[in-house]
Amino acid sequence: MDRRSMLSRAFKPHRYSQGAAKFTNAVLRTQDNQEVRFYDDLIKGKQCVINMMYAECHGACPLVTTVLKRTYRDLKDRMGKDLFFYSISVKPQDDTPAALKHYAETRNADLPGWYFLTGDPYDIETIRFRLFNMGHVGIDLDFAMHSGTFRIINDATNYWGHAGAFASQRNIMQRIAWADPYKSAAEWDVYARNLQTLINKDIKKYGYRRDV
Amino acid sequence: MPKKKAKNRQGVGKKTEGTISRRNVLKIGAAAGAATVLAPNIITTRKALAFADPVPPPLVQCTAAVRSPVHTPFVDDLPVPFPAIDHPLNPQPTETANTGAGEWPRVAHQRWAQFTPAHVTTELEARPGLHTFHSNFGPSYVWGFNGVYPGPTVLNRYGKPTIVRFRNSTPPNGDNTFGHPEITIHLHNGHHGSESDGFAGDFFPSGRWKDNLYPNCYAGLDTFGGNGDPREKMGTFWYHDHRAEKTLNNNVMGLNGMFIVYDPTDPGHEHPSAGSLQLPGYYGVTDFPLILTEKRFCALDAQGRNELVNAAGGDKWIVNGAIQPKLKVRNRKYRFRILSTGPTTAQWDLRLIGPTGAIETMTVVATDANFLEHPVPVDAGANAGNSNAIVGTTIITPGAVRVNVAERYDVIIDFGNYNAGDFLYLTDVRSQVVNDTGSGNTNPPGLPPGLNIGNVIMRFDVVNRETWFPQDTPAIPQTLCTFPPICEPDTTFQWNFTRDPAGSNPRFFRINNRVFDANLPQHCVLKGTCEEWLINNNTPNADGPTNWKHPVHIHFEEFRILKRFAIINGVFQEVPVTPLSQGRKDVTAVEPGEAALIRMNFRDYIGKYLIHCHNMGHEDAFMMVAWHIVPDAAAKAVCDSQIVQANKEFEAKLRGEEVS
Repeated sequence: MDRRSMLSRAFKPHRYSQGAAKFTNAVLRTQDNQEVRFYDDLIKGKQCVINMMYAECHGACPLVTTVLKRTYRDLKDRMGKDLFFYSISVKPQDDTPAALKHYAETRNADLPGWYFLTGDPYDIETIRFRLFNMGHVGIDLDFAMHSGTFRIINDATNYWGHAGAFASQRNIMQRIAWADPYKSAAEWDVYARNLQTLINKDIKKYGYRRDV
Repeated sequence: MPKKKAKNRQGVGKKTEGTISRRNVLKIGAAAGAATVLAPNIITTRKALAFADPVPPPLVQCTAAVRSPVHTPFVDDLPVPFPAIDHPLNPQPTETANTGAGEWPRVAHQRWAQFTPAHVTTELEARPGLHTFHSNFGPSYVWGFNGVYPGPTVLNRYGKPTIVRFRNSTPPNGDNTFGHPEITIHLHNGHHGSESDGFAGDFFPSGRWKDNLYPNCYAGLDTFGGNGDPREKMGTFWYHDHRAEKTLNNNVMGLNGMFIVYDPTDPGHEHPSAGSLQLPGYYGVTDFPLILTEKRFCALDAQGRNELVNAAGGDKWIVNGAIQPKLKVRNRKYRFRILSTGPTTAQWDLRLIGPTGAIETMTVVATDANFLEHPVPVDAGANAGNSNAIVGTTIITPGAVRVNVAERYDVIIDFGNYNAGDFLYLTDVRSQVVNDTGSGNTNPPGLPPGLNIGNVIMRFDVVNRETWFPQDTPAIPQTLCTFPPICEPDTTFQWNFTRDPAGSNPRFFRINNRVFDANLPQHCVLKGTCEEWLINNNTPNADGPTNWKHPVHIHFEEFRILKRFAIINGVFQEVPVTPLSQGRKDVTAVEPGEAALIRMNFRDYIGKYLIHCHNMGHEDAFMMVAWHIVPDAAAKAVCDSQIVQANKEFEAKLRGEEVS
């Protein structure tokens, strides 16, 4: 199965997802030089964690990539199936697919379900604005602004969340879980039972309630 | 389960006579407009609530750049949120979470045995509804408690604990609004256990419910015994969704309401009773909540609706869910409990404009639910110095009471100073869209000179008091209460409110360099102690002090502001605390480069509480952290060790290490 058809596997978007009108359907290239459409192939009906980076960055980007790698390890079973990581280059004019491939490989991050993306600078600027804009011109014009943020999106539930890369690993996992697909009543029952058990255990352990 | 449900449904079909079925509700609605939206408040059983939700807005809505449609000012009367009615709950509330019946997991209620024997109960259900903000408009799709916006006002009394069952009946899979169907409800600023505090990480999904136990006690239970220290009395609370990341969204959708707690000094009536201050006090008659927010509307659509724009902010000023309403007032004293529900940068510089166009006097009696020791009149004349619309030492809006997000100001206006037929106007300095189609607003005839219709929030129409209307209350007492002494701190702590400077990665709103982490305290407080905290918005960054204002809210108990600091002529220095900030508070706004030194007690309860910026955009963008109250030294050691551990992880991440 080639990557394009794998990415396009049928995922059901939320019935009120604004789709390509919001996300754009810009053509991007992965680190393997595969053409993908941003909404149709990458976002539609999927849960994903998105960050902005560039290959020559020596500040936050490599640190954030390390954090994502750590997160990947915990979510390995879901990666590439219903959960994806997208690292989008903010310097697409410099970052060829080959450069991104090199970046990923040297950091052992060339993994299934994790795509490093480049494309037309205008398209990427549009995507950055659509995903990360804070409604403040001063912030939004600064392309480095959100390199330490993960945007967490689940198009199947229409959920937009975010996480800080340098928060505790537990916090990042929790914020990704906050974007998980809606559960059925029966699934919530199981979830609630486990949560109550956890709470009771925590009270014993800490002498007061600590956990969520 | 399914069997039981079917039976219930049958019951509704049979029992239409004398009870309120869906059909009857619709009939009432057809006959008497507003009754439709009020009806859910008084229906208690699940089956009676089982009428269909309104259809959500269509997929493609207008954008945030749209200008709201025009409206005619002063057409509608000021709405008053209907009181929530006490009623039994089924199943009855329990000390530990009744997860089998659908309650969301939580720790056991603290002080259950102490507060449950004589409690009352009610239920507030978060659900979609339709609300008409102006009679020129079609209805708008909202989420409200019991389907109405603003939510029903809970009227409570000190010494009478309440359990409010918050039920989540928002669309389980979301809808085309930006509301998120998970909620956790905070009573701002109740003194209660953290399991009832609506902690931001403790949200629950649609189809579940949670009982919050509000003891309606005064803080100081352990030291004073009984129902606590009566000097800790509060009055004007509000409740709202606090879901991490989605507080802004769900509040814009309408998930908030007023909560008033009466006590002998402020009994909810005007009769001379023991200890009563005899302030204007009949809810909805002489004592009105004024719940302020701003919204933006799409043009009338094919369904006859004016949908809300999915964004913070707006170009219509909303008071109690209405645009530029009017209120008929008799020539006597009235009390207004003013609340700003934000949601973001809105700050209301409220002025009362009289019939001649002059700025008239409003007398503030309470700040953030707490009586001031002495009433503080505010106007642009003799009392100009009392204004809190101040940056540094400069009054920005003379004669104004500034209401920041989540602050409450109880204000008394004496309409006895005016003649029947006079109009008075409550104004802000910002301008809204009234009849502007692109070339600006046009003043309607009859406005006093100098007044711009865009600034007007609402109008008061003075009439002579009819004989049947309650007669005026006595003069406002010069002493309203005695503050409890400011506590002596056991320890000090500093909270830095920052946004990372330009050019750095990342650029978050943070507190003490941390983002909101539901699992992690940033500070551990020993129960029963007092602490002195510096709320600091003057952290030097590469690009100077942070350029953002933060209305900072601290959960759990009221604090006192000891000192205020600001940058004057380039020097960070102490500046006077304004008269309206000298009382007991739970929100303090710190302007860019400012700081406030506060003291606060931590009594009676343990658990997780929050400090956060109440600009809901900032709070959702991480500017919120948890602090924990712990019962003893051993628990404090455990709590502190979590912070140490988390700091190690943070530093490891910054070194590029893969943390385990």
